[in-house]
Amino acid sequence: MSGHDDAPDGLDPLVAPDELVDGRTLDDLEAYLDRGRLPRDPAIESSAACRLALRALEQVRGLSLAVLEDEAARLPARDDRWIAGLVASIKAEVVSGRDIPLRHPDPGIRLAVTEAAVRGLLRQVGDLVDGVLVRSSGLEGDVSEPGAPIEVTLRVTTRYGLPARDVAQALRAAVASALDRHTQLTVTAVHVLVDDVWLAERRRR
Amino acid sequence: MLVDASDDTLAVRARDGDVQAFEAVARRHGPLMRVYAARLLGNDLESDDVVQDAFLTAWRRLGDLEDPARLRPWLMRIVSNKSIDRLRVRRDHDDIDAHDAPASRAAAPDRVVESRLQMDAMWTALDKLPLDQRRCWLLRETGGWSYGEIADALQLPVSTVRGRIARARTFLLHEMEAWR
Repeated sequence: MSGHDDAPDGLDPLVAPDELVDGRTLDDLEAYLDRGRLPRDPAIESSAACRLALRALEQVRGLSLAVLEDEAARLPARDDRWIAGLVASIKAEVVSGRDIPLRHPDPGIRLAVTEAAVRGLLRQVGDLVDGVLVRSSGLEGDVSEPGAPIEVTLRVTTRYGLPARDVAQALRAAVASALDRHTQLTVTAVHVLVDDVWLAERRRR
Repeated sequence: MLVDASDDTLAVRARDGDVQAFEAVARRHGPLMRVYAARLLGNDLESDDVVQDAFLTAWRRLGDLEDPARLRPWLMRIVSNKSIDRLRVRRDHDDIDAHDAPASRAAAPDRVVESRLQMDAMWTALDKLPLDQRRCWLLRETGGWSYGEIADALQLPVSTVRGRIARARTFLLHEMEAWR
Protein backbone atom coordinates (compact mmCIF):
# COMPACT_ATOMS: atom_id res chain seq x y z
CA MET A 1 0.00 0.00 0.00
CA SER A 2 1.32 3.39 -0.83
CA GLY A 3 -1.01 5.25 1.47
CA HIS A 4 -1.43 7.86 -1.21
CA ASP A 5 -4.07 6.45 -3.47
CA ASP A 6 -6.18 9.42 -2.56
CA ALA A 7 -3.69 12.00 -3.79
CA PRO A 8 -5.33 14.59 -6.00
CA ASP A 9 -4.76 14.01 -9.69
CA GLY A 10 -2.56 16.29 -11.69
CA LEU A 11 -0.85 18.04 -8.79
CA ASP A 12 2.16 15.83 -8.37
CA PRO A 13 3.13 13.54 -11.24
CA LEU A 14 5.30 11.57 -8.83
CA VAL A 15 2.50 10.33 -6.64
CA ALA A 16 1.20 7.53 -8.84
CA PRO A 17 3.84 4.81 -9.16
CA ASP A 18 2.96 3.71 -12.65
CA GLU A 19 2.48 7.13 -14.07
CA LEU A 20 4.97 8.27 -16.66
CA VAL A 21 6.91 11.49 -16.38
CA ASP A 22 6.97 12.78 -19.94
CA GLY A 23 7.02 9.24 -21.24
CA ARG A 24 9.59 7.93 -18.74
CA THR A 25 9.06 5.71 -15.74
CA LEU A 26 10.74 6.62 -12.47
CA ASP A 27 12.79 3.45 -12.87
CA ASP A 28 14.11 4.76 -16.17
CA LEU A 29 14.96 8.07 -14.59
CA GLU A 30 16.68 6.38 -11.68
CA ALA A 31 18.75 4.27 -14.04
CA TYR A 32 19.67 7.47 -15.88
CA LEU A 33 20.87 8.97 -12.59
CA ASP A 34 22.85 5.81 -11.85
CA ARG A 35 24.66 6.29 -15.14
CA GLY A 36 25.64 9.77 -14.02
CA ARG A 37 23.22 11.26 -16.61
CA LEU A 38 25.55 9.96 -19.31
CA PRO A 39 25.33 9.68 -22.21
CA ARG A 40 23.19 12.78 -22.10
CA ASP A 41 19.59 12.05 -23.02
CA PRO A 42 18.28 15.19 -24.73
CA ALA A 43 14.65 14.10 -24.38
CA ILE A 44 15.02 13.83 -20.61
CA GLU A 45 17.18 16.90 -20.19
CA SER A 46 14.85 19.11 -22.21
CA SER A 47 11.78 18.07 -20.23
CA ALA A 48 11.04 20.25 -17.24
CA ALA A 49 8.97 17.50 -15.66
CA CYS A 50 11.79 14.99 -16.03
CA ARG A 51 14.34 17.38 -14.58
CA LEU A 52 12.05 18.03 -11.66
CA ALA A 53 11.61 14.31 -11.11
CA LEU A 54 15.38 13.75 -11.33
CA ARG A 55 15.96 16.40 -8.70
CA ALA A 56 13.33 14.86 -6.46
CA LEU A 57 14.83 11.41 -6.88
CA GLU A 58 18.30 12.66 -6.11
CA GLN A 59 16.97 14.26 -2.99
CA VAL A 60 15.27 11.21 -1.48
CA ARG A 61 18.05 8.88 -2.49
CA GLY A 62 20.75 11.14 -1.10
CA LEU A 63 18.79 11.74 2.08
CA SER A 64 18.32 8.01 2.65
CA LEU A 65 22.00 7.59 3.40
CA ALA A 66 22.47 11.06 4.84
CA VAL A 67 19.79 10.52 7.45
CA LEU A 68 21.44 7.31 8.65
CA GLU A 69 24.81 9.06 8.82
CA ASP A 70 23.24 11.92 10.68
CA GLU A 71 21.70 9.61 13.23
CA ALA A 72 24.94 7.68 13.61
CA ALA A 73 26.85 10.90 14.26
CA ARG A 74 24.46 11.82 17.03
CA LEU A 75 24.41 8.46 18.75
CA PRO A 76 26.02 8.59 22.16
CA ALA A 77 29.37 6.81 22.04
CA ARG A 78 28.28 3.62 23.75
CA ASP A 79 30.34 1.57 21.37
CA ASP A 80 33.16 0.55 23.59
CA ARG A 81 31.87 -2.77 24.82
CA TRP A 82 31.24 -4.36 21.45
CA ILE A 83 34.47 -2.94 20.11
CA ALA A 84 36.41 -4.44 23.00
CA GLY A 85 34.80 -7.79 22.24
CA LEU A 86 35.60 -7.45 18.58
CA VAL A 87 39.23 -6.55 19.23
CA ALA A 88 39.65 -9.53 21.56
CA SER A 89 38.27 -11.86 18.88
CA ILE A 90 40.39 -10.57 16.04
CA LYS A 91 43.60 -10.47 18.09
CA ALA A 92 43.27 -14.22 18.41
CA GLU A 93 43.10 -14.47 14.65
CA VAL A 94 46.16 -12.47 13.66
CA VAL A 95 48.21 -14.66 11.38
CA SER A 96 51.66 -14.83 12.92
CA GLY A 97 53.47 -15.61 9.68
CA ARG A 98 56.92 -17.11 9.46
CA ASP A 99 59.20 -17.60 12.45
CA ILE A 100 62.29 -15.43 12.43
CA PRO A 101 65.02 -17.18 14.46
CA LEU A 102 67.19 -15.39 17.03
CA ARG A 103 70.57 -16.72 18.07
CA HIS A 104 71.15 -17.69 21.66
CA PRO A 105 74.51 -18.54 23.23
CA ASP A 106 73.03 -21.77 24.55
CA PRO A 107 72.56 -24.06 21.52
CA GLY A 108 69.84 -25.90 23.41
CA ILE A 109 67.60 -22.84 23.35
CA ARG A 110 65.60 -21.91 20.27
CA LEU A 111 64.37 -18.35 20.12
CA ALA A 112 62.29 -16.71 17.43
CA VAL A 113 60.08 -13.71 16.79
CA THR A 114 57.13 -13.96 14.44
CA GLU A 115 56.95 -12.15 11.15
CA ALA A 116 53.74 -10.46 12.34
CA ALA A 117 55.60 -9.06 15.34
CA VAL A 118 58.34 -7.67 13.13
CA ARG A 119 55.82 -6.09 10.79
CA GLY A 120 54.12 -4.55 13.83
CA LEU A 121 57.48 -3.17 14.85
CA LEU A 122 58.00 -1.71 11.38
CA ARG A 123 54.62 0.03 11.60
CA GLN A 124 55.43 1.43 15.03
CA VAL A 125 58.85 2.67 14.04
CA GLY A 126 57.60 4.14 10.77
CA ASP A 127 54.68 5.95 12.41
CA LEU A 128 57.13 7.66 14.76
CA VAL A 129 58.79 9.43 11.84
CA ASP A 130 57.21 12.88 11.59
CA GLY A 131 54.61 13.15 8.85
CA VAL A 132 54.56 9.44 8.08
CA LEU A 133 51.91 6.78 8.46
CA VAL A 134 52.87 3.26 7.39
CA ARG A 135 50.41 1.54 5.10
CA SER A 136 51.99 -1.86 4.68
CA SER A 137 55.28 -3.62 5.06
CA GLY A 138 56.94 -6.63 3.55
CA LEU A 139 59.99 -8.77 4.25
CA GLU A 140 61.46 -10.40 1.19
CA GLY A 141 63.95 -13.20 1.48
CA ASP A 142 64.20 -16.30 3.60
CA VAL A 143 63.70 -14.81 7.04
CA SER A 144 63.73 -18.24 8.67
CA GLU A 145 67.30 -18.81 7.49
CA PRO A 146 69.85 -16.99 9.75
CA GLY A 147 72.08 -14.69 7.72
CA ALA A 148 69.98 -14.81 4.55
CA PRO A 149 69.78 -11.42 2.79
CA ILE A 150 66.50 -9.67 3.48
CA GLU A 151 64.92 -6.71 1.72
CA VAL A 152 62.37 -4.63 3.56
CA THR A 153 59.65 -2.71 1.72
CA LEU A 154 57.57 -0.06 3.42
CA ARG A 155 54.58 1.55 1.74
CA VAL A 156 53.72 4.78 3.47
CA THR A 157 51.51 7.80 3.26
CA THR A 158 53.08 11.16 4.03
CA ARG A 159 51.95 14.65 4.90
CA TYR A 160 51.73 16.88 1.85
CA GLY A 161 54.81 19.02 1.36
CA LEU A 162 57.36 16.73 2.96
CA PRO A 163 60.28 16.04 0.64
CA ALA A 164 60.08 12.36 -0.26
CA ARG A 165 63.82 11.96 -0.11
CA ASP A 166 64.04 13.15 3.52
CA VAL A 167 61.17 10.91 4.48
CA ALA A 168 62.80 7.91 2.86
CA GLN A 169 66.11 8.63 4.55
CA ALA A 170 64.60 9.03 8.00
CA LEU A 171 62.56 5.84 7.53
CA ARG A 172 65.53 3.82 6.34
CA ALA A 173 67.59 4.86 9.35
CA ALA A 174 64.76 4.18 11.78
CA VAL A 175 63.97 0.79 10.28
CA ALA A 176 67.61 -0.31 10.11
CA SER A 177 68.25 0.59 13.72
CA ALA A 178 65.03 -1.04 15.00
CA LEU A 179 65.63 -4.26 13.11
CA ASP A 180 69.23 -4.29 14.25
CA ARG A 181 68.19 -3.96 17.86
CA HIS A 182 65.31 -6.44 17.86
CA THR A 183 66.27 -9.05 15.26
CA GLN A 184 69.36 -10.51 13.68
CA LEU A 185 68.12 -10.13 10.13
CA THR A 186 70.70 -9.29 7.49
CA VAL A 187 68.95 -6.34 5.92
CA THR A 188 70.43 -5.57 2.53
CA ALA A 189 67.92 -2.92 1.45
CA VAL A 190 65.05 -0.86 2.80
CA HIS A 191 62.71 0.24 0.03
CA VAL A 192 60.35 3.09 0.79
CA LEU A 193 57.36 3.69 -1.46
CA VAL A 194 55.23 6.76 -0.89
CA ASP A 195 51.80 5.47 -1.89
CA ASP A 196 49.68 8.33 -0.82
CA VAL A 197 49.84 11.87 0.47
CA TRP A 198 47.53 13.61 2.87
CA LEU A 199 46.74 17.28 3.26
CA ALA A 200 47.38 18.54 6.75
CA GLU A 201 43.89 19.98 7.36
CA ARG A 202 41.59 17.40 5.89
CA ARG A 203 43.01 13.94 6.05
CA ARG A 204 39.87 11.91 6.42
CA ARG A 205 38.33 10.10 3.46
CA MET B 1 47.22 9.53 14.39
CA LEU B 2 45.35 6.44 13.25
CA VAL B 3 42.01 8.05 14.00
CA ASP B 4 42.78 10.65 11.33
CA ALA B 5 44.00 8.18 8.73
CA SER B 6 41.97 7.67 5.56
CA ASP B 7 39.75 4.62 5.17
CA ASP B 8 42.11 3.49 2.48
CA THR B 9 45.14 3.53 4.76
CA LEU B 10 43.27 1.90 7.63
CA ALA B 11 42.01 -0.89 5.40
CA VAL B 12 45.47 -1.58 3.99
CA ARG B 13 46.99 -1.63 7.46
CA ALA B 14 44.28 -3.87 8.82
CA ARG B 15 44.86 -6.24 5.93
CA ASP B 16 48.50 -6.23 6.97
CA GLY B 17 47.41 -7.55 10.35
CA ASP B 18 47.15 -4.29 12.29
CA VAL B 19 44.46 -4.80 14.93
CA GLN B 20 44.53 -1.16 16.02
CA ALA B 21 43.81 0.00 12.50
CA PHE B 22 40.81 -2.27 12.37
CA GLU B 23 39.66 -1.01 15.74
CA ALA B 24 39.76 2.50 14.28
CA VAL B 25 37.64 1.25 11.37
CA ALA B 26 35.08 -0.18 13.78
CA ARG B 27 34.92 3.04 15.78
CA ARG B 28 34.51 5.14 12.68
CA HIS B 29 31.93 3.06 10.86
CA GLY B 30 30.29 1.04 13.62
CA PRO B 31 27.65 3.66 14.47
CA LEU B 32 26.41 4.00 10.88
CA MET B 33 26.37 0.23 10.44
CA ARG B 34 24.31 -0.10 13.60
CA VAL B 35 21.75 2.47 12.51
CA TYR B 36 21.57 0.83 9.09
CA ALA B 37 21.13 -2.66 10.51
CA ALA B 38 18.48 -1.47 12.94
CA ARG B 39 16.49 0.12 10.12
CA LEU B 40 16.75 -3.06 8.03
CA LEU B 41 15.77 -5.33 10.88
CA GLY B 42 13.09 -3.10 12.29
CA ASN B 43 14.53 -2.99 15.79
CA ASP B 44 17.58 -1.94 17.77
CA LEU B 45 17.88 -5.16 19.73
CA GLU B 46 19.55 -7.35 17.17
CA SER B 47 21.61 -4.71 15.44
CA ASP B 48 24.54 -4.80 17.89
CA ASP B 49 24.96 -8.52 17.35
CA VAL B 50 24.65 -8.24 13.62
CA VAL B 51 27.19 -5.45 13.45
CA GLN B 52 29.75 -7.16 15.65
CA ASP B 53 29.40 -10.29 13.55
CA ALA B 54 29.71 -8.23 10.37
CA PHE B 55 32.96 -6.61 11.50
CA LEU B 56 34.40 -9.98 12.44
CA THR B 57 33.59 -11.25 8.97
CA ALA B 58 35.06 -8.10 7.46
CA TRP B 59 38.33 -8.67 9.33
CA ARG B 60 38.54 -12.21 8.01
CA ARG B 61 37.79 -11.16 4.46
CA LEU B 62 39.93 -8.04 4.20
CA GLY B 63 41.93 -9.84 1.53
CA ASP B 64 38.84 -9.75 -0.71
CA LEU B 65 38.47 -5.97 -0.51
CA GLU B 66 39.57 -4.95 -3.97
CA ASP B 67 39.55 -1.20 -3.54
CA PRO B 68 40.45 -0.25 0.05
CA ALA B 69 39.15 3.27 -0.52
CA ARG B 70 35.68 1.74 -0.95
CA LEU B 71 35.79 0.35 2.55
CA ARG B 72 32.47 1.77 3.68
CA PRO B 73 30.29 0.44 0.85
CA TRP B 74 32.01 -2.90 1.30
CA LEU B 75 31.19 -2.89 5.02
CA MET B 76 27.60 -1.92 4.27
CA ARG B 77 27.32 -4.87 1.95
CA ILE B 78 28.50 -7.23 4.68
CA VAL B 79 26.07 -5.68 7.17
CA SER B 80 23.28 -6.09 4.58
CA ASN B 81 24.13 -9.77 4.22
CA LYS B 82 24.30 -10.36 7.95
CA SER B 83 20.98 -8.62 8.45
CA ILE B 84 19.37 -10.78 5.78
CA ASP B 85 20.82 -13.90 7.43
CA ARG B 86 19.19 -12.79 10.63
CA LEU B 87 15.87 -12.35 8.88
CA ARG B 88 16.08 -15.86 7.47
CA VAL B 89 16.57 -17.30 10.93
CA ARG B 90 13.54 -15.38 12.06
CA ARG B 91 11.37 -16.35 9.13
CA ASP B 92 9.75 -19.32 10.88
CA HIS B 93 8.31 -17.17 13.60
CA ASP B 94 7.72 -14.29 11.35
CA ASP B 95 5.57 -12.07 13.52
CA ILE B 96 8.51 -9.93 14.62
CA ASP B 97 8.13 -7.82 11.51
CA ALA B 98 4.68 -6.91 12.71
CA HIS B 99 6.19 -5.25 15.76
CA ASP B 100 8.34 -2.85 13.82
CA ALA B 101 8.81 -0.34 16.60
CA PRO B 102 9.13 3.36 15.86
CA ALA B 103 12.84 4.05 15.99
CA SER B 104 14.11 5.76 19.09
CA ARG B 105 16.20 8.75 18.24
CA ALA B 106 19.26 10.32 19.71
CA ALA B 107 18.63 13.76 21.18
CA ALA B 108 19.45 16.56 18.80
CA PRO B 109 20.33 19.90 20.31
CA ASP B 110 20.29 21.75 16.99
CA ARG B 111 16.79 21.23 15.68
CA VAL B 112 16.38 24.82 14.57
CA VAL B 113 18.19 24.82 11.28
CA GLU B 114 16.38 23.84 8.17
CA SER B 115 18.63 20.96 7.29
CA ARG B 116 17.96 19.58 10.74
CA LEU B 117 14.23 19.73 10.06
CA GLN B 118 14.71 18.13 6.70
CA MET B 119 16.68 15.29 8.26
CA ASP B 120 13.95 14.81 10.83
CA ALA B 121 11.31 14.75 8.12
CA MET B 122 13.25 12.12 6.19
CA TRP B 123 13.80 10.02 9.28
CA THR B 124 10.11 10.12 10.09
CA ALA B 125 9.19 9.28 6.51
CA LEU B 126 11.50 6.25 6.48
CA ASP B 127 10.10 5.22 9.81
CA LYS B 128 6.55 5.39 8.51
CA LEU B 129 7.31 3.08 5.62
CA PRO B 130 6.09 -0.48 6.07
CA LEU B 131 9.12 -2.53 7.05
CA ASP B 132 9.12 -4.69 3.92
CA GLN B 133 9.22 -1.61 1.71
CA ARG B 134 11.81 0.15 3.84
CA ARG B 135 14.04 -2.90 3.79
CA CYS B 136 14.00 -3.16 0.00
CA TRP B 137 14.48 0.57 -0.37
CA LEU B 138 17.49 0.75 1.96
CA LEU B 139 19.13 -2.34 0.49
CA ARG B 140 18.93 -0.69 -2.89
CA GLU B 141 19.63 2.94 -2.13
CA THR B 142 22.11 2.73 0.73
CA GLY B 143 23.30 -0.87 0.43
CA GLY B 144 23.80 -0.59 -3.32
CA TRP B 145 22.08 -3.89 -4.15
CA SER B 146 20.41 -4.59 -7.46
CA TYR B 147 16.77 -5.66 -7.73
CA GLY B 148 17.96 -9.18 -8.53
CA GLU B 149 20.24 -9.36 -5.50
CA ILE B 150 17.47 -8.18 -3.19
CA ALA B 151 15.04 -10.68 -4.69
CA ASP B 152 17.52 -13.54 -4.18
CA ALA B 153 18.35 -12.52 -0.65
CA LEU B 154 14.75 -12.09 0.45
CA GLN B 155 13.52 -15.02 -1.64
CA LEU B 156 10.95 -12.92 -3.42
CA PRO B 157 10.09 -12.50 -7.09
CA VAL B 158 11.91 -9.58 -8.68
CA SER B 159 8.55 -8.06 -9.56
CA THR B 160 7.64 -7.92 -5.86
CA VAL B 161 10.90 -6.20 -5.01
CA ARG B 162 10.42 -3.76 -7.85
CA GLY B 163 6.89 -3.03 -6.64
CA ARG B 164 7.98 -2.45 -3.05
CA ILE B 165 10.74 -0.10 -4.07
CA ALA B 166 8.40 1.77 -6.39
CA ARG B 167 5.87 2.22 -3.57
CA ALA B 168 8.56 3.26 -1.11
CA ARG B 169 9.90 5.77 -3.61
CA THR B 170 6.49 7.22 -4.30
CA PHE B 171 5.79 7.55 -0.61
CA LEU B 172 9.14 9.20 0.16
CA LEU B 173 8.88 11.56 -2.82
CA HIS B 174 5.50 12.62 -1.57
CA GLU B 175 6.55 13.01 2.07
CA MET B 176 9.58 15.07 1.15
CA GLU B 177 7.80 17.25 -1.37
CA ALA B 178 7.72 20.21 0.97
CA TRP B 179 11.52 20.16 1.22
CA ARG B 180 12.21 20.69 -2.44
